[in-house]
Amino acid sequence: MTEVINNEKEKFMGLTHAQVFMYLLMTVISILFLFITNAYLFRMNFADWQSLPMPTLLWFNSGALVLASVGMIWAKQGAKSGSPTNIKIGLTAAGIFGTLFTLGQITAWQELNAVGYFLASNPANTFFYLITALHVMHVLGGMVAWLRVSFKVFLGSENTATEHTIGLLGIYWHYMLLVWALLFSILLTT
Amino acid sequence: MAFVIVTTIIVIGTVLWNFITPWWFTPLASNWGALDQTIIISLWVTGVAFVLVSGFILYCVVKFRYKEGHKSEYEPENTKLEVILTAITTVGVIILLAPGLIAWNDYVNLPEDAMEVEGVGQQWVWTYRFPGEDGVYGNTNGRLFSSKNTFGLDPNDPNSQDDILIRSNHLHLPIDEPVVFQLRSKDVLHDFYIPQFRAKMDLVPGQQTNLWFTPTVLGTYEVACAEYCGTGHFAMRGIITVDTMNDFQSWLTEQPTFFDTMNEGTKGQGKQIAQTLGCVACHSDNGKNGIGPTWKNSFGSQRMMTSGETVIVDAEYIKESIVNPNEKTAQGYAPVMPAYKMSDDELDAIVEYIETLSE
Amino acid sequence: MEQSSAYEGQPLHEPKGWWGRYVFSQDHKVIGLQYTCIALAIGLTGMFLSLLMRMQLGFPGLFESIDAGSYYQDVTMHGMIMVIYLLTALFLGGFGNYLIPLMLGSRDMAFPFVNMLSFWFYLLSVLILVASFFVESGPTGAGWTLYPPQSILEGTPGADGAGIILMLASLAVFIIAFTMGGLNYITTVLQSRTRGMTLMRMPLIIWCIFLATFLGLLAFPALLVGAIMLIFDRVLETSFFMPEIFKGGEVLDYGGGSPVLFQHLFWFFGHPEVYIIALPAFGIISELISCHARKNIFGYNMMVWALIAIAGIAFIVWAHHMYVAGMNPYLGFFFATTTLIIAIPTAIKVYNWVITLWNANIRMTVPMLYCLAFLITFLIGGLTGLFLGNVAVDVPLSDTYFVVGHFHMVMAVSPVLALYGGLYHWYPSVTGRMLDDRLGKIHFWITFIGTYLVYFPMHYIGFLGVPRRYYSNDQYDFIPQSVNDLNQFITICALIVGAAQFILLYNFVVSIYKGKKAGSNPWGACTLEWQALESPPGHGNWDVQLPVVHRWPYDYGLPGATADFVPQNVADEDIT
Repeated sequence: MTEVINNEKEKFMGLTHAQVFMYLLMTVISILFLFITNAYLFRMNFADWQSLPMPTLLWFNSGALVLASVGMIWAKQGAKSGSPTNIKIGLTAAGIFGTLFTLGQITAWQELNAVGYFLASNPANTFFYLITALHVMHVLGGMVAWLRVSFKVFLGSENTATEHTIGLLGIYWHYMLLVWALLFSILLTT
Repeated sequence: MAFVIVTTIIVIGTVLWNFITPWWFTPLASNWGALDQTIIISLWVTGVAFVLVSGFILYCVVKFRYKEGHKSEYEPENTKLEVILTAITTVGVIILLAPGLIAWNDYVNLPEDAMEVEGVGQQWVWTYRFPGEDGVYGNTNGRLFSSKNTFGLDPNDPNSQDDILIRSNHLHLPIDEPVVFQLRSKDVLHDFYIPQFRAKMDLVPGQQTNLWFTPTVLGTYEVACAEYCGTGHFAMRGIITVDTMNDFQSWLTEQPTFFDTMNEGTKGQGKQIAQTLGCVACHSDNGKNGIGPTWKNSFGSQRMMTSGETVIVDAEYIKESIVNPNEKTAQGYAPVMPAYKMSDDELDAIVEYIETLSE
Repeated sequence: MEQSSAYEGQPLHEPKGWWGRYVFSQDHKVIGLQYTCIALAIGLTGMFLSLLMRMQLGFPGLFESIDAGSYYQDVTMHGMIMVIYLLTALFLGGFGNYLIPLMLGSRDMAFPFVNMLSFWFYLLSVLILVASFFVESGPTGAGWTLYPPQSILEGTPGADGAGIILMLASLAVFIIAFTMGGLNYITTVLQSRTRGMTLMRMPLIIWCIFLATFLGLLAFPALLVGAIMLIFDRVLETSFFMPEIFKGGEVLDYGGGSPVLFQHLFWFFGHPEVYIIALPAFGIISELISCHARKNIFGYNMMVWALIAIAGIAFIVWAHHMYVAGMNPYLGFFFATTTLIIAIPTAIKVYNWVITLWNANIRMTVPMLYCLAFLITFLIGGLTGLFLGNVAVDVPLSDTYFVVGHFHMVMAVSPVLALYGGLYHWYPSVTGRMLDDRLGKIHFWITFIGTYLVYFPMHYIGFLGVPRRYYSNDQYDFIPQSVNDLNQFITICALIVGAAQFILLYNFVVSIYKGKKAGSNPWGACTLEWQALESPPGHGNWDVQLPVVHRWPYDYGLPGATADFVPQNVADEDIT
């Protein structure tokens, strides 16, 4: 490795690389969900649209996602106050509730399928499966990032970047919760 | 220097070409002269811009070519000049846009009391429907299509019965009579385009689109599909004949109503079925091979398959080729034919028709 | 700021071994070259497909293997390859990767590893695309717009096999690759500028790539959504875009969907896509014209604001591709107006380029020739765009050869001329050697005149009304024989132009070994990529210290300086 010196640079609003990357990524993801909801609202005006009932399980899943976010806040506070125990508790909670959410969503699909709301039988069903699946995929992306951070925290030595990293991870998780809240309210009201 | 000479020739050639081009608008045969005029205005405005800007480039290239030791003039900004140029461009854009929007306003506002025709597209033929004596179209439903009910009309709707169906590519229209087309498609996107009428509109399955024009010159015109619609796109040709009102009326009375078509048998109707299902777009009856082999003199002939085997074109082979076309593909043709579902009577009728095309 | 230094101050990872240096490289210059090579290779395939298509139009029946089905497959794959896999990838992945860190004075992209992944995903998308040529019934022949219902129904080549699925999958992978690259470019532009390189001192090409990337990041999700939904319709028989359809004598299982919805999604991506290609071309022209005319670029501020305006308005013009597509016709008023408004900032850019030539000291180098040719073809393409954007004029001209002529002039010939200008300009920076000048000029003349002769006459058969995407014109009486003669002429021109591209290829390969040594700054350019310590720049780009920027990038002919240019990293007191 070469020792190099990076003199003071032009920065954008005092943000770090990772912050800029994360905010941009969230913008792109927002656009993706914006288009899919747009298509949803456009398509539901057609005559063949038949809304499907929302499984009650979704409320429990939403709760799990909220608790996962709380876990991330817990970990962030732990990092701020320099308490490794709180970081670990918070991360663990976030991981457990994140997994519960994912499993819960899969169970909800199975429930719907079991009572005859098949993917292809009505556009409302198709959109429900597609939108929730896209969201779950993005939550899984957050789980991968969670794994990376957790490995560092549980196995690695003390890392100076932990607060920064956990903060960013937390933002993504809160963002996933926000996206879910918006999607769920659209699914509920239409 | 080579650049200046060649580019000057290109610029002058580009401008002169507009006056000597052998390819220009087809003779106008409808009320849409305003569209031609906007094109002419656009040609003039853009032509002037093209000559000015490219002339300026050429002048600079000659005048300010490289001299060793010379330095260019340093002038990063000139706000006044930029404002003037922006203003001139804006004026040019308004000159272009205004007549365009006025013409568009006419184009999308359908005239009241105009004659109504429905155009129905499918791969790769055009068919048409008139509302009939009562002047009201019968209801249609995409689920009601069949090889018999080729317009998907509701047989229980009293308005349906007298609808006049034109089950061929050939439509007649009266001269100087505004006509509104309601367009729909059975399968994929198409575009109803008659070059001499300038008018054009997509046909979208599952919804209706509208188009209107007034034919102003007697004659026969071609309908060309202008929205890519599959392998046979380029062969989706229709004919429109513009008649005097009398000729048109007498032609119209000869056409069958929905009631008539629902009560005709299949016997001897092979040609009609082949027409309405679009077979004729690929299989000609005149000996010319198209996307598929011609039907003329095909019955009883021997044909090489892509698999290498030879088959005799008989009733069984023809039926198999309709129901399951990609089972055997004739040599020299692509396996692009979609499978067709028909009743046995209809299959027999088509076989019978193909047989009559062989001498 | 303490924590951030832990990220940005990290030492560069020296590549390990040959594989690490040339294959799994995280160096932005190598990744840029990898992008360039793959894009040029697939672009050559795209050109070959266009020649097959021209053979059918010019000499129908000469090649029996070109039947209607394979003709439409050639048309489709040619369009898709050129727009997405050649031009988008080459301008942003190739030029963007190579130039952004060098021109901004940074050591590498913000996230070198993600950058490498971006290339490998791009390669994967190209491989999936190529694979579709080898599946049963071949690649999709649905037209590059992939409009449903026909793109997924029998009767369109490739629709019943895996062709269309592979096409959509390839697009999805490409979008992932683009997103990874794009997030990187933007972060780098915002974060990794060296000291003194303020946003308004960035070279215009960086502004262009930056804004084009923004457009891409915001527009590609629309295509991704469309592609996913279309895969659903094709594989799972859902009905997002599929209405009731009667086909082959039976009513299909679909129902209720809207084909126009797909068109909205497609063109919401598709129109910004035009600018994703055009903006980097604009950027290349801005750099080249200033450098080779030895003159400061005219109206830098106006140029930047015009770019931002173009990028913004690009999102509200998409439906001008759909005037006669069955959307609410009254939307035509709005979209025609926005479309013609976007002509104003575009015209400003053209004015500023040509005013840059005024009182300049113009060197007729090969890159300059490409610049000037670009101005001519872009003028034609831009001005004919005013016809098609103007809704009423679009009615007779849409879907005719006028459209083919227009968009090839504006987003094929023009960007490719800019691209070639850029390749000739930056080749010395990459290899340390010059391309052969004489071969360059021969290649230029054949390409410029040849493509002009190919596309200019098409506008007039468009006036006549000849529809595009016709396998053959024989059946129509309104199309005279002279159109077929013209088609023959165009095909011959196209073949010559196609063959001439091998001159460039030859020049490229031979000059690596035999080209004249370029020295560190052969064109006398002000921008930073020519001021690196080594030529070509080594890993990490700069010496121990990063360069410090003192001025904008266009100080050509600065009064008071002896030389006719002052590089960006020269301080005022050091000017001699």
